[in-house]
Amino acid sequence: MIRFLIYRLLSAIPVLFVVTLVTFLIMWLVPGDISAEIGGIDATAADLQAIRERLGLDQPLWERALRWYGDLFRGDLGHSYTLNRSVIDAVLERLPVTLSLAGLALLLATIIGMLLGILASVRHNTWMDQGAMVTALVGLSIPDFWFGIVMIILFGVWLGWLPTGGFVPLAEDPVGWARSMVLPAFTLAITQMGVIARMTRSAMLDVLGQDYIRTARAKGMRARTVIFRHALRNAMIPIITVVGVISGVLLSGAVVIETVFSLPGVGRLIIGAIQRRDFPIIQGGLLITACVFVFVNILVDMAYVWFDPRGRDDD
Amino acid sequence: MKTHLKMASKLRSLGVIGVFALAAVFSPLPSLAQVKGGEIVIVQGSNPPSLDGMSTSSQASRNINMNIYETLYGFSEEIKPIPILAEGVDISDDGLTYVFTLRKGVLFHNGDEMNAGDVKASLERYRVVGATKNLLAPVKDIEITGDYEVTFHMVENTPTFLEAFSSPRAPAVIIPEEDGATEAGKNSFVGTGPYKFVEYVPDDHVTIERFDDYTADTRSEGIDGFGGKKTAWLDRVIFRIIPEPGAQVAALEAGEVQILEQIPMPAARRLESSPDINLFKNARWAFTTFIFNTSVSPSDNVKFREAVQVGLNMEEIMAISSEGLYTLNHRWQYEGTTYDPGMIGAEYYNQADTERAKALLAEAGYDGEEFSILTDSNIPQHGRSAVVIAEQLKGMGINAVINQVDWPTALNVRMQDEGWNGWTLQMGIEPYLGPVGLIATLASPARPHFVKPDAELDALYQELIKGATVEARQETFKKIQAHLYEIFAIIKVGDSGLMHAARSSVKGFIPFRFPRVYDIWLEG
Repeated sequence: MIRFLIYRLLSAIPVLFVVTLVTFLIMWLVPGDISAEIGGIDATAADLQAIRERLGLDQPLWERALRWYGDLFRGDLGHSYTLNRSVIDAVLERLPVTLSLAGLALLLATIIGMLLGILASVRHNTWMDQGAMVTALVGLSIPDFWFGIVMIILFGVWLGWLPTGGFVPLAEDPVGWARSMVLPAFTLAITQMGVIARMTRSAMLDVLGQDYIRTARAKGMRARTVIFRHALRNAMIPIITVVGVISGVLLSGAVVIETVFSLPGVGRLIIGAIQRRDFPIIQGGLLITACVFVFVNILVDMAYVWFDPRGRDDD
Repeated sequence: MKTHLKMASKLRSLGVIGVFALAAVFSPLPSLAQVKGGEIVIVQGSNPPSLDGMSTSSQASRNINMNIYETLYGFSEEIKPIPILAEGVDISDDGLTYVFTLRKGVLFHNGDEMNAGDVKASLERYRVVGATKNLLAPVKDIEITGDYEVTFHMVENTPTFLEAFSSPRAPAVIIPEEDGATEAGKNSFVGTGPYKFVEYVPDDHVTIERFDDYTADTRSEGIDGFGGKKTAWLDRVIFRIIPEPGAQVAALEAGEVQILEQIPMPAARRLESSPDINLFKNARWAFTTFIFNTSVSPSDNVKFREAVQVGLNMEEIMAISSEGLYTLNHRWQYEGTTYDPGMIGAEYYNQADTERAKALLAEAGYDGEEFSILTDSNIPQHGRSAVVIAEQLKGMGINAVINQVDWPTALNVRMQDEGWNGWTLQMGIEPYLGPVGLIATLASPARPHFVKPDAELDALYQELIKGATVEARQETFKKIQAHLYEIFAIIKVGDSGLMHAARSSVKGFIPFRFPRVYDIWLEG
């Protein structure tokens, strides 16, 4: 397992390098830079050039890239042009928001999605199956920004049960944190819930048709034991694969939800930085996000090994 | 001039609400006793790019900064320069010396008293990091001539200097001397205003709290524009950043926030009868303009530009781009203000004369060349007006295409001499600043918005800033207005408004160029 972990960590290095390089190239291709934001609409060409020189934006791409990679090796991701703080500080102070959101959404999507999928598979071709799949399809089809606004109006304005937006840090007020996270996490989870439900149903139907399940039932084993111990465990590999993919989708989907619910997360930080052309934040933010993504994928791979003993044998 | 409002009857009632709201806040009745204490949350859509008062001209920053910092001079409610931190100014007869005496006993948020050293250091810093540092270009040097006195020695007589110096665009705020050498955005955010900075969490909020040792200017009875006698009633004010307009309105309805800097017009119409919400119309918020690139074909041809001018239906463009809150106005100043040029140019405005446009296009020799309209997605009015303009141009036979990009890209593209023909732009603060602030964006030495400098406009701009009296400058501005309707390098589409909204528990709120959080209070 340790060898596997080291191998996966080492293989992440070229991935992260390619991510940063591609980001560099894309941002180089995009017209405009921070000088327009700093200089304002009345800035002359000379004013803009002076700002570019001060920030080193007049240097060739390769020089800027070399400098950035050099700083990276020293653990320095640079300083934001506009936020008056280092990139690491700017990203790390927002990471809890995005991780809370994506983590809770993943938990909700997985639990509710799997329950729906299991229900649909064990009540195959009944109204429950149809109902669960229609629910999943509706969840998949709803645009999350629209659903978010509807949730805000319903639970924030009409019922007044939950705040309409904003973030309360967990350390400051755990109840406030939970209240501020419920609507965004549920909104983010709703679309992915459908994906997990459908995959669970499909995987469970495959397994439930197997001889060993029939044998277990013939032995008089309780239905709950058959479903959860024998069927579900063997259906988990494709479900884990989907959950792994969804983790990445939730991280990127958090951008929209952070905007709708006014959460100061990494997604909004990067989008704002792209709009202002705050290159250090874009580079550093994407690198750290990619690291989180890679780490989640390693966790998923380890879960495979845990659920499938054949993987442990290989190791 | 006619005022056209979509859904006129509904908006008339909004106007009535506004009148009542204004009447209520101006009422001298003691029943509106101010209450000290409490906290309010004000919502704006974007982060302040900086909380360094002088280094940014952004509205999102000004909203907050003008409650924290103050200037020597600023505009009154009638947009006339008035002393704020200055006691007054003595201008020599030749206009080459300005002696500013300072108010005594004014404290910074760090407890130090403001003196001439702070003023000199602040203004020297402004020359380096000020977002509109050119406003100090007429000043040769600044001399400390007393503990509470600074003297400006001017390069030449510039009669409009005090007006420019009072500009709130990127205000020449006074900060402590120890911040004088700091880079842009690196000062300590210490000012002399009625509220002091507490914290800024980007994408979330900025918090300011009452400065208990604030030294109010007792020369006035109450607030007056950017100055006057300011009183901080609230303990704490939070500027919350909510980018999504729907979420902003929901937060207001839920009572989580008390003031929206801008409420979308459809929501304003829905909430106009709500007893919990007051609406405040700020009709003179911005000019909607359409700017040509006069250095490339086909927009380099004056006949072509005239064709566009006479062919456009301004009412349609304004109704859609402003969501119904607009005023048709051909003037390059607001109607009834000091420099109102009257009806000059009205014969070219809102003509929607497609046949005349076609004839002028034929005269221009237009042969179906592509006409690229540059616009952006960040400011919704820009994109909406570009769509309507493009459709109208197609109706005239112009091969119009829209190039919609994000705001930094638009700013980058418009700095190029080629690659665009027309550009949609809302001019917000410039019209408020009066003729000098507005025409400065169209004349040398700056790069004119329409790219190719116009020698006659440049000369008129010089005549304007050197006009010795208001009357002389009014005459010059009439010539400028006439000239703009001769060269058609920029088209005035109309005046667009802004609707603010507040919970009814908020008292004393008066719409202005920024949300003044002093002299407002919460109902007890």
